[in-house]
Amino acid sequence: MRSGLYSVLLMGQLILNREIKNNLFTWAILMISCSLFVVPLPEFLSFFRPPWLSLSVIFFSIMTPAGFGVFSAFFIGLLADVVQGSIFGGHAMALSLIAYLSYRFHLQIRVFPMWQMMLSVLLMLLLNELLVLWVEGIQGQMIFNYIRWLGIVIGTLIWPIFMAFLLNLKSKIL
Amino acid sequence: MPLSGEARTTRSRGQYSASKLLVSLILSFGLMYLDHKDQYLNKVRSYISATTYPIYVVINAPKNIFLNLRETIGQKEKIVLDNQRLKTENITLSSKIQQIYKLEKENKRLHDLLDSKPKTEDIFVLAEIVAENPDPFKHRIIISKGSKENVHVNQTVADARGIIGHVIRDQIFGSEVLLITDPEHALPIEVARTGLRSIALGIGSYEEIQLSYLAVNTDIQAGDILLTSGLGGQYPVGYPVAIIDKVSAQKGESFLEVRAKPFAKLRNINEVWVIQRAADGAIDFE
Repeated sequence: MRSGLYSVLLMGQLILNREIKNNLFTWAILMISCSLFVVPLPEFLSFFRPPWLSLSVIFFSIMTPAGFGVFSAFFIGLLADVVQGSIFGGHAMALSLIAYLSYRFHLQIRVFPMWQMMLSVLLMLLLNELLVLWVEGIQGQMIFNYIRWLGIVIGTLIWPIFMAFLLNLKSKIL
Repeated sequence: MPLSGEARTTRSRGQYSASKLLVSLILSFGLMYLDHKDQYLNKVRSYISATTYPIYVVINAPKNIFLNLRETIGQKEKIVLDNQRLKTENITLSSKIQQIYKLEKENKRLHDLLDSKPKTEDIFVLAEIVAENPDPFKHRIIISKGSKENVHVNQTVADARGIIGHVIRDQIFGSEVLLITDPEHALPIEVARTGLRSIALGIGSYEEIQLSYLAVNTDIQAGDILLTSGLGGQYPVGYPVAIIDKVSAQKGESFLEVRAKPFAKLRNINEVWVIQRAADGAIDFE
């Protein structure tokens, strides 16, 4: 009886530890992508900047939804708005929407072949960019240029490496 | 306890429920409305920005580590050479400053004779560029000094060569700067040679700014230097801004097309000065 209780407690602690570790990992990666999102780059490189933040939000919603959620996406979006200095709530809206949509289809997307997965990621990134553009348009600051879509294409192309890297890192650390 | 297959797939459903999405959408629309409409949210933004300090630290870590390494390991001869060069530079600069003291004295005496307001001295705060807007067509940067170091909205930012822009939002540990080349930026200038007043507009390219609505017979030519005119009260008087690059008159147009190249290196990732004007509560000259 007593040993049974003890083992349950131990098990609970293990699960708790895992959850804490999982959350730490998630937020560390999110902070790093937030930094990459705004790090100053030389002019020719700034056109090739992948949308790191949207990529990580999609990754966490699809692959490890337990440690993440719509509100987490909302919060990291607010942080991105502050760090970048854009209108308060713009990225928060776009990111919470793509987190929701990615989770809605995460069971399908997970078992897709790679090209279909990349296609879904491309759609999510496009939606994100359109929403951000729309918010800027309402504000009257929109500057439309085809070059700004280059980042999305790059983001889609690096998705397989990005995903493999994060999954690998996670299995190594946790 | 290990979870069963079904529990595993459904356990996080609550975190992605439609109601949560609805709440965050409504919240973000509310925030966007408030932020666009008024300045209520600047305080909130300022507090959240304190939590983003680690992000700036992460961003600057590679640069700082590199600089430290170069200084500690660094080639000794190069440091010695640097030292010599800086010493000679220092001598020339201080001899120039002596002349400036003389000129400033003289200027003050003349102002006294004219019984007008004495000239005041600006204060310079050194800051670093820590982040930029990821959108290549928005020329905004974040610098490392904020309201904690008395950097406030509307203060001018310059580098060693010329005006960079002005602070449009101050946070605790950093502030946002609108560059003079941003399409939303307009800067009152005067042409040093003729004293002509005009307004320099950003056009979204780091290499040029534009002077609009100058009549075809205006006395302006390539090589003219543009200074801040101080009109409008936003920028201090007499700081270098740009040099006229190209003046062209299209047939049938009633205005000249004038392009100027900013002196400041706007693409560089390095130190900038925040200019705090004496009128903002700083010291008077003598």
